Amino acid sequence: MYVGLFLRHAEALGLVNVEDDRDEFSIRAVDLTKVFAKKRHKGILGFLKKNAEKEKSKSEGGDAVTVALDHVNLKVRAGELFGLLGPNGAGKTTLVKCLSTILIPDEGTAVVNGYDVLKETTMVRASIGLVVGGERTLYWKLTARDNLMYFASLYKMPRAEAKNRVNELLELMGLIDRADERLEDYSTGMRQKIAISRALLHNPPILLLDEPTLGLDPTFSRQIRNQIRDLCKSQGKTILLATHYMYEADELCDRVGIINNGQIAAVDTSGKLKAMVREKELVEVACVNPPLGVEAELRTLCPEVDIVTLIHGDEARGAPSRIKIIGEGAEDHIGTVIDALRKRGVQITSLNVGMPTLEDVFIKLTGGAKLVERSEAAIGE
Amino acid sequence: MTYSSLKSDYFVVWNEIVKNLKFLLAYPIVFVFWAIFPIFWFIPFILQGQALVGGLTSEAFAQIAGTPEFIPFVVIGSVLNSYVLSSLYGMGESIRREAYQGTLDYVLASPCNKAFILIGKAISESLTSTIFALSQLAISIMFFGIELTVGVIMPILFILILLILGLYGIALMLAALSLRFKQAHDMAHTLEYVFYLFSPVRYPVESLPIWGQIVGKLLPLTYALIAVRSLMLLKQGIATVYIEILVLLVLDSALILVGFYLFNWMENKTKKSGIISQY
Repeated sequence: MYVGLFLRHAEALGLVNVEDDRDEFSIRAVDLTKVFAKKRHKGILGFLKKNAEKEKSKSEGGDAVTVALDHVNLKVRAGELFGLLGPNGAGKTTLVKCLSTILIPDEGTAVVNGYDVLKETTMVRASIGLVVGGERTLYWKLTARDNLMYFASLYKMPRAEAKNRVNELLELMGLIDRADERLEDYSTGMRQKIAISRALLHNPPILLLDEPTLGLDPTFSRQIRNQIRDLCKSQGKTILLATHYMYEADELCDRVGIINNGQIAAVDTSGKLKAMVREKELVEVACVNPPLGVEAELRTLCPEVDIVTLIHGDEARGAPSRIKIIGEGAEDHIGTVIDALRKRGVQITSLNVGMPTLEDVFIKLTGGAKLVERSEAAIGE
Repeated sequence: MTYSSLKSDYFVVWNEIVKNLKFLLAYPIVFVFWAIFPIFWFIPFILQGQALVGGLTSEAFAQIAGTPEFIPFVVIGSVLNSYVLSSLYGMGESIRREAYQGTLDYVLASPCNKAFILIGKAISESLTSTIFALSQLAISIMFFGIELTVGVIMPILFILILLILGLYGIALMLAALSLRFKQAHDMAHTLEYVFYLFSPVRYPVESLPIWGQIVGKLLPLTYALIAVRSLMLLKQGIATVYIEILVLLVLDSALILVGFYLFNWMENKTKKSGIISQY
């Protein structure tokens, strides 16, 4: 409603033509590239060292940059819940920041809600609700109501409407009774709910959510996942959900894009992605505290299989580490694997033979990049 | 520009002021600072002056300052200098705090005009400096016999506004540096001493060597101090300080334009380099 008002107002002023340039895609990234200079040292001494390194790097033909996004092409349909799945450092946050105009891409561009992120920044900003950086991005010394009223003003909402909307969102999040408490007295999950409320203040058609359940306990994670699903299915919002939680992407998203090293490795529905490795056999060994080098040793012992990978678990929270062996004839190596692990004193907690999951697709596409493991309890199921 | 657009811009400025004042009130120790610091800040000026000139007035001082009264001279210098301090440190620090809290991304990714956020920040700083300045003035009136006639209040406020506008321009430049370097405190500290040395805060500008006087004439504080002292101490009318007012207007326009340009340029530059979100 507020975005609609904002857009109509801008159109009346002749700033934009709202009817133009719309298609079935709410978000389109075209060859989006973002490169950061590597920053290894700080301060005066660091500056001198950096220059020396730069010279050395140049003379050796190396470069002093990190490619965070490497010609990313992506389309998200209107009303779609799109998952962007990738490990830490894959480029998810950089992509979200480029789409939200916080960062300016070095090459390429993106169109959000029909507006170019390079040329029509104000309209892009009015079209999106953003959750990036989690609970740290609020004013902890202010109350929840003060925080939301402040951000409502930045979205040019009239005061009376802002008051109503803030109450409505606090009610929705179940925080109306604590609306006038400072955020420093809130729990992490409650603050995250306020961060999501802020994204919804101006009722934007598009939400960009970067790790919205990061660090939350199972109850809050489940509540927030339910709200995300509801925002898409009941309210028709287009949602780009960047996550490194496999389960979250699999459970929530209509389509999933797998991103690694700044590149989109694959985009499809969870089911179709899984079909990419469905014909393969999977052996999964859950174990506690596997020693260094075990992954390489198993690769040597099972040369015929496609993938041998170790996923470190959150053992303190009851999620064991897991060794995955994927490929033709993986089952034939079960005995070899158990013997090798026993020899190294590894405690095996379970062994499963089954069909590959989305996680295995991810492992196949990214060559074994590590995702953060969560216990079932932590996932909240 | 429509009425509703103006109203929403006003709402941004208002909420920015309210936010900053609430931050301030979240730390009650600040009241102790406000109550004590003004006294500590300018009493040494007075005592030093008394020790040097041997009393409250001095003929030698009158020859270069135009007034023999040293105490009112330094009180005016000290009160106006309060605005320099808050402008130099306030806005840059506020931007740095936003970056540290992680809110800067959200502020910059909102569709409102950033100028109104910056105006809100500047006004909040001026409000706190005004409390600071008024407490100094009250102490001066109560304990040091400073006289403030009703007739000069409005002209002084006018000059004060002109001074503050110029200082906002400098504050914008420092805020721009905060975006890039994350720490403009040292630059502000250096500038503070430039003002302190080359503007007639504690001594007339004529005490400086010629090159120092030239530097002093580039600073808005110099003209504001000359104008306010003419009105308060020399009992002259506002028409006599029209040159200072004109120079202040020119300096204000230049500083604000350069300030906004530099802030926008630095915002784009840091968004390209990716350091906008760092702190």
